[in-house]
Amino acid sequence: MTSVSGITDPQFEDPRLLPAAMSLRDVSVAFHGRVAVRDVTFDVPANRVTALIGPSGSGKTTLLRSLNRLHDLTKGASVSGTILLGDTDIYQGGIPTTVLRSRIGMVFQRPNPFPTMTIYENAVAGLRFNGVKKKSVLDAAAESALTSADLWDSVKQRLNAHAATLSGGEQQRLCIARALAVEPEVLLMDEPTSALDPISTKRIEELMVELKKRVTIVIVTHNMQQAARVSDLTAFLLMGEDRAGEQIEVSPTLKLFSAPEDQRTLDYIQGRFG
Amino acid sequence: MTSNTSTDLRQAAEGHRPSAASRGVYEYVVLSAAGLFAIISLYFVGSIVWQALPAIRHQGLYLLTGTSWVSGGATPALSKFGGLSMITGTIETSLIAIVIAVVVGTGTSLAINLLLPSWMRTIAATTVELLAAIPSVVYGVWGMLVLAPLVISTVGPFLNSLPGGNAVFGTVVAGQSLLLAGFVLAIMVLPTYVAISREVIGAVPHELIEASLSLGATRWQTIWKTILPTGRVGLLGAGALALGRALGETVAVVLVIGQVNQLNFRPLQPGVTLASWIASQWGEAIGSDQMNALFALGALLMAASLGVSFISTRLVSRQRSLVNR
Ligand SMILES: Nc1ncnc2c1ncn2[C@@H]1O[C@H](COP(=O)(O)OP(=O)(O)O)[C@@H](O)[C@H]1O
Ligand SMILES: [Mg+2]
Repeated sequence: MTSVSGITDPQFEDPRLLPAAMSLRDVSVAFHGRVAVRDVTFDVPANRVTALIGPSGSGKTTLLRSLNRLHDLTKGASVSGTILLGDTDIYQGGIPTTVLRSRIGMVFQRPNPFPTMTIYENAVAGLRFNGVKKKSVLDAAAESALTSADLWDSVKQRLNAHAATLSGGEQQRLCIARALAVEPEVLLMDEPTSALDPISTKRIEELMVELKKRVTIVIVTHNMQQAARVSDLTAFLLMGEDRAGEQIEVSPTLKLFSAPEDQRTLDYIQGRFG
Repeated sequence: MTSNTSTDLRQAAEGHRPSAASRGVYEYVVLSAAGLFAIISLYFVGSIVWQALPAIRHQGLYLLTGTSWVSGGATPALSKFGGLSMITGTIETSLIAIVIAVVVGTGTSLAINLLLPSWMRTIAATTVELLAAIPSVVYGVWGMLVLAPLVISTVGPFLNSLPGGNAVFGTVVAGQSLLLAGFVLAIMVLPTYVAISREVIGAVPHELIEASLSLGATRWQTIWKTILPTGRVGLLGAGALALGRALGETVAVVLVIGQVNQLNFRPLQPGVTLASWIASQWGEAIGSDQMNALFALGALLMAASLGVSFISTRLVSRQRSLVNR
């Protein structure tokens, strides 16, 4: 496709040239007036995996949570700049947060299935919140979401067991299924494997690559190998002088890890800080 | 042991006790205090049961199922001491109190923890806490002088005007009634319920609330489908603790329940509870077989309170282990 300096792979496609599922323009987030992330601007390519990497405290989580307006709950948090989902401004465009959040799903750092609900009830919780009541619809959605999350075969015999009876990796895949059941356009994942063992981690990484055919993924990770394995585009954040996170480089993953444009990116991926 | 202690004391007087020996004295004092406390508790429970035994022997099951309360005077064989009205009255008033306290208290806790702006939270929380500091006789007098007339003039006629109102609620005669007692008890146990339920609601993991909202749930759905179900065991525990307090409350109940020994099931009718009956009969019962019957009611009340408080402790700690996985 296009030539990107430092890349020789003929199969290479520049994700920055693909249609954007979300666009961030000068996005800053502050808590009680203290800026945590500043002026982030990039496009999230549709049906690709975008990774946010950077040292701890560089604002990855903060930035991710601005994408589904989860900061609305936090006292003293303010988000400025523009975030588009397709053509819709998610803060100014008048879209209700409930609708927004059913179009942009989220998976958290620690598996957080609803402990009082069964596996089945967890899988369909989002649909029920959105008013779906018909059992046949819920059943079909549960099977489809659990299948997509690579969990159906191991739980189909015990859908009425409590979610807490699952292993950590299974719980996280249940959380992925729960998010997928609502059929979001974008799936946000905040270090989804950091609490899991290597085998569960590998399964979820494979899942992401599979899932991007139908959903755009934004994943926060502090594991650079993970970003390199699963993502197409990588945004590198780093704290500036005043400890606010800043975007240092947003590049195709292949390029960022082989021939980064910024010296600080090189330092980071070579483990010189962070 | 005695000689050891006296040695310690002598060394203490001389001003150079070795620290190991001083710890010995300290442990001895603490252990004696604990032992004394255990003995007093056993003596307390034992003497109540002991005093109740003659009544249990003479009245038998009638204590639980009978509805007359007459003293035979010089011929104890003629005495009939039935506690059924007190038992049902206690259950009725406590149930009314718990239903009101759980509904109002859960709403209050949700409001304080999640819904109110922060400056109002403090005001609301302090107000509820202050309710606990008001002596119960004040609640009783307030219920008798302020609420009872209101039951006669407004609440009673309103309930009676509902279809089937007379059949369900009974006809209002005096303001003092099971309903009024339940209502006053509800206010009195509210601080207890709110204290525990606030803790329970506050301990619902934030990540579950976020999970709920991130699926597109509204705030109300998050409360109904995530927060309350996650906290339900602890809220039950809070209810049980409040129930324990309602069961035993005495002074306020005496003033607002009407104090008649009748088997009444309609809330607008007057009644009596175990605690209020024991308190009001005590004066004339001392030294007679009636005293033993009152002790039997007391033992029943004590067993119920201990049982409920045990259940509540279990539920609250089960909730703690549920959310601190
Ligand atoms: N709710 C909050 N209130 C105040 N400060 C916060 C809050 N959340 C995050 N921060 C601050 O924002 C900065 C970035 O944190 P975070 O986004 O969690 O970083 P990362 O995910 O990259 O480790 C940190 O300095 C953190 O203290
Ligand atoms: Mg983080």
